[in-house]
Amino acid sequence: MNTTLLINSLTLLTLATLLTPIVLPLLFKNFKNTPLTITRTVKAAFLTSLLPATTFIYSGLESITCHWEWKFIMNFKIPLSLKMDQYSMTFLPIALFVTWSILQFAMWYMASEPYVTKFFTYLLTFLIAMLLLTTANNMFLLFIGWEGVGIMSFLLIGWWQGRAEANTAALQAVIYNRIGDIGLILSMAWLASTFNTWEIQQAVHPHQTPILPLMGLILAAAGKSAQFGLHPWLPAAMEGPTPVSALLHSSTMVVAGIFLLIRMHPLLATNQTALTTCLCLGALSTLFAATCALTQNDIKKIIAFSTSSQLGLMMVAIGLNLPQLAFLHISTHAFFKAMLFLCSGSIIHSLNGEQDIRKMGGLQKMLPVTTSCLTIGNLALMGTPFLAGFYSKDLIIESLNTSYLNTWALSLTLLATAFTATYSIRMTLLVQAGQTRIPPMMPVNENNPLITAPLTRLALGSITAGMLITSFITPAKTPPMTMPLVTKTAAILVTILGIILALELSNMTHTLTHPKPNHLMNFSSLLGYFNPLVHRFCSKTLLEKGQNIALHLIDLSWLKKMGPEGLAELQVAASKAATLAHTGLIKTYLGSFALSILVMILTTQTL
Amino acid sequence: MAAAGLGGVLWQRAAARLRALRVAAPLGARAASGLSSEMLPGPYPRTPEERAAAAKKYNMRVEDYQPYPDDGLGYGDYPMLPKRSAHERDPWYQWDQPDMRHNWGEPMHWDFDMYIRNRFDTSPTQIPWHTMRKHFLVFLSTMLIMFGIGQFYPSYRPVGPKQYPFNDLYLERGGDPNKEAPVVTHYEI
Repeated sequence: MNTTLLINSLTLLTLATLLTPIVLPLLFKNFKNTPLTITRTVKAAFLTSLLPATTFIYSGLESITCHWEWKFIMNFKIPLSLKMDQYSMTFLPIALFVTWSILQFAMWYMASEPYVTKFFTYLLTFLIAMLLLTTANNMFLLFIGWEGVGIMSFLLIGWWQGRAEANTAALQAVIYNRIGDIGLILSMAWLASTFNTWEIQQAVHPHQTPILPLMGLILAAAGKSAQFGLHPWLPAAMEGPTPVSALLHSSTMVVAGIFLLIRMHPLLATNQTALTTCLCLGALSTLFAATCALTQNDIKKIIAFSTSSQLGLMMVAIGLNLPQLAFLHISTHAFFKAMLFLCSGSIIHSLNGEQDIRKMGGLQKMLPVTTSCLTIGNLALMGTPFLAGFYSKDLIIESLNTSYLNTWALSLTLLATAFTATYSIRMTLLVQAGQTRIPPMMPVNENNPLITAPLTRLALGSITAGMLITSFITPAKTPPMTMPLVTKTAAILVTILGIILALELSNMTHTLTHPKPNHLMNFSSLLGYFNPLVHRFCSKTLLEKGQNIALHLIDLSWLKKMGPEGLAELQVAASKAATLAHTGLIKTYLGSFALSILVMILTTQTL
Repeated sequence: MAAAGLGGVLWQRAAARLRALRVAAPLGARAASGLSSEMLPGPYPRTPEERAAAAKKYNMRVEDYQPYPDDGLGYGDYPMLPKRSAHERDPWYQWDQPDMRHNWGEPMHWDFDMYIRNRFDTSPTQIPWHTMRKHFLVFLSTMLIMFGIGQFYPSYRPVGPKQYPFNDLYLERGGDPNKEAPVVTHYEI
C-alpha cells in the first residue's frame, strides 16, 4: 500500500469535506446550509482526519505535495504546497475535534440568533483558513491562511455589530494583527530575496540567520499570539460571542503565531539572540497576563488572560529551542481552554447573560456537568499530574529549570505558574463554590445534550490528550532525564503555593471589608495601564497628525502653494524684479542686449 | 370629473395657502433639501454682528461661540468646540442619533470622526495620567533591567570541567610509553 498516497489523499479528503458547505450551495439551487449540516460536516471531517493521523503515527511518513503552481514570475516558484508532517497531522484532528464540539455547543448558544447560518458559515470559513495555515508548506499559502483568520476574527468579534464596544474590539484585533503582519511581510521579503523561494523546507541558512527577518517573524507571532506589547486585543476580543472566543481566541487562531515560529524553527535555532528574545518576551507576557487575570471579575476576561499567559508559555518553549514542546502545549491547551470557554458560555446563558463572577456562586449543585468540566479544565490548566496540561506544562518547566537561560525569565515563568493556580482557584471558588449570589429567578438549565455532549467530549480530551499525544509522537530532542527532586517537582510546588495563596485570600475575603485600592491592585485591575496609555496616546497622535498632514500639508502646500497661489507668488516676484529694468532709457536696454549676447556667446563656446 | 377637480375651488385655495407659506417661510426652513449658501461655513467673523450671525448659523449661543484663531489654516468661522469624545456623553439619554450620541442640529466638532465611539476616548481615567505613565514605565524599566541582569547571571545546572582517566590520557595523547607518566589524581581523600 502506498503510504504517501494514503496520507496525501486522506488529508485532501478532510480539507475537501470542509469545503462542501461552501461550494454546494453555489452549485445546487435547492441546497441550503443549516447549523446542523455544518456541524455534521465538521464531525465527518474530524473522523476522516483521524485516518491520516493514524497512518502518520504508525508509519512516521512525512510528505509534501504540490497542487498547483502560480506561474507569475519565471524564476520564482509559488507552488501551493501542503506539508503533512507531525505538526499538521496532529493539529488537524485536534482542531476539528474542538471545532466540532464548539459548533455543537453553538447550536444551543446561538439558537436565538437571526443569522445563525451565517455565523456557522463564518466559523467554517475561519476553520478552513486555519487548516490552510497549518498545512501550508509555502509562506504564500501561510499568508493567505494568516490573513484569512485575521479577517474572520474581525467579522466574528464584531458579530453583534450594533454594539460600539464590539466594533472597537474588532478594530483593535485587526490593527494589532496588522502591526504583526508588517513583520511577517518583512520576513517573507527577506526569504524571497535570500533563498529565491517561499518554501519553508528550503529556508535553511548555512550560518547564523540574520537577526532582522527573525525579528520580523517574532513581531508577527507577537501580534497574532498576543504577546506583551501587542496583547490588548485578546481580552477585548471577548466582546464576541462565546463560541467565537472558544474557537478563535483560545485554541486555534491565537496559536497561529506560535505555529509560524514552530514551522520556521530551523531558521530560529541558528540565532541565539532571537531565541533569547522569544524567551524573554514569552516570560514577560506570561507573567503580565497572569497578573492581570488576578483581579478580573468577568469570567471571560479571566479565561482570556489565561490564554494570553499560556501563549507566553508557548513562546518560552520556542525560546528554549523546543518547538515540539510548544506544539504539545498548543495541542493540550486547545482542549481544556475550549472547554473552559464553553463552560463559561453555559453558565452565562443559564444566568441570563451574567458574566460577573461576583454575582455567581454555588453553581455546583445547579449546573453539575458544567461545573465539573470547569473544575477538570482548571485542574488541567494548572498542570495537575497526569491530566492533559501536565504533560506539556511540566515538561516545559523542567526544561526551563535544567537549561542555560536568563534567570529572570525563569523566575517570571515560575511566578506566572503560581499565579495561574491562584486565578484558576479564585475563579472556581467564586463561580461554583460557596454561597450563591445569583438573583432568585434564573433559567438555570443544562439538560440539553447540545451542552453536555461537547463538554463531556472535551473533558475526555482534557484528561487523555496529553498521554495520547506523548505516547505516540517521538520527541525530537532528548528531554532532561536526571535532575534534583526540587527541580523535578518545581512546577507542582509553585502550583501548590498558588493554590494556598488563593485559599488564604478567599478566607480573608470572608472577614475583610472591601480592600482599599493600592498601587498593585490598581495596576493589576487596570491591566497594567497599557490600554489607556497606548490607545489614547497613539490614536490621538496619529489621527491628529493625519488630519494635519491631509489638510495643511497636502491641501495647503500641494494644492495651493505648489499650484495656483505658489505660481502666482513666483510670477509676482519675478515681475517685480523685472520691472526694475523697465526704466525706458536706451542705455539700459542696450546694456541688456550686450549682456544677453555675452551670455549666449559664453554658453555656446566649447572650451 | 378629475379635470373639474383640478381647476376647482379647493385646489386653488390650497395652492394659495402654499404660496403664502413659501413667501413667509424662514430662511433655510426647507426640509431635507440640502444646504443653502447661507448655511455653509464662511470667512472668519471680524465684527460682533458677524459673530452673532455665525453663532446663529451654527445653532449656538453667542456666549458659547468661539471660532478657531485666524492663522490662515482655513478654519473660517467654524466654531472651536471642546475636544470631548462621544464616550463622555450620557449613554442613557435619548439622543436623536444614539450611535453617535448626537442630537439633530447640534454643532459637530471639526475632528468629529476622531471622537466617535470607535476611536479616541477623552473620558477621565480612574487614575491620573501621570501616575499611570509613571507606574507603567517603572514596571517596564524594571523588567528590562532585570532581564539584562539575568543575561549576565544566567541560571544553569552546576557543571565541572571534564576529567579524563589514565593520567589525562597520557598514552593516547602520544606520550612516550618508556617514560614514566606524570601521575594525575582528580580526587582528594
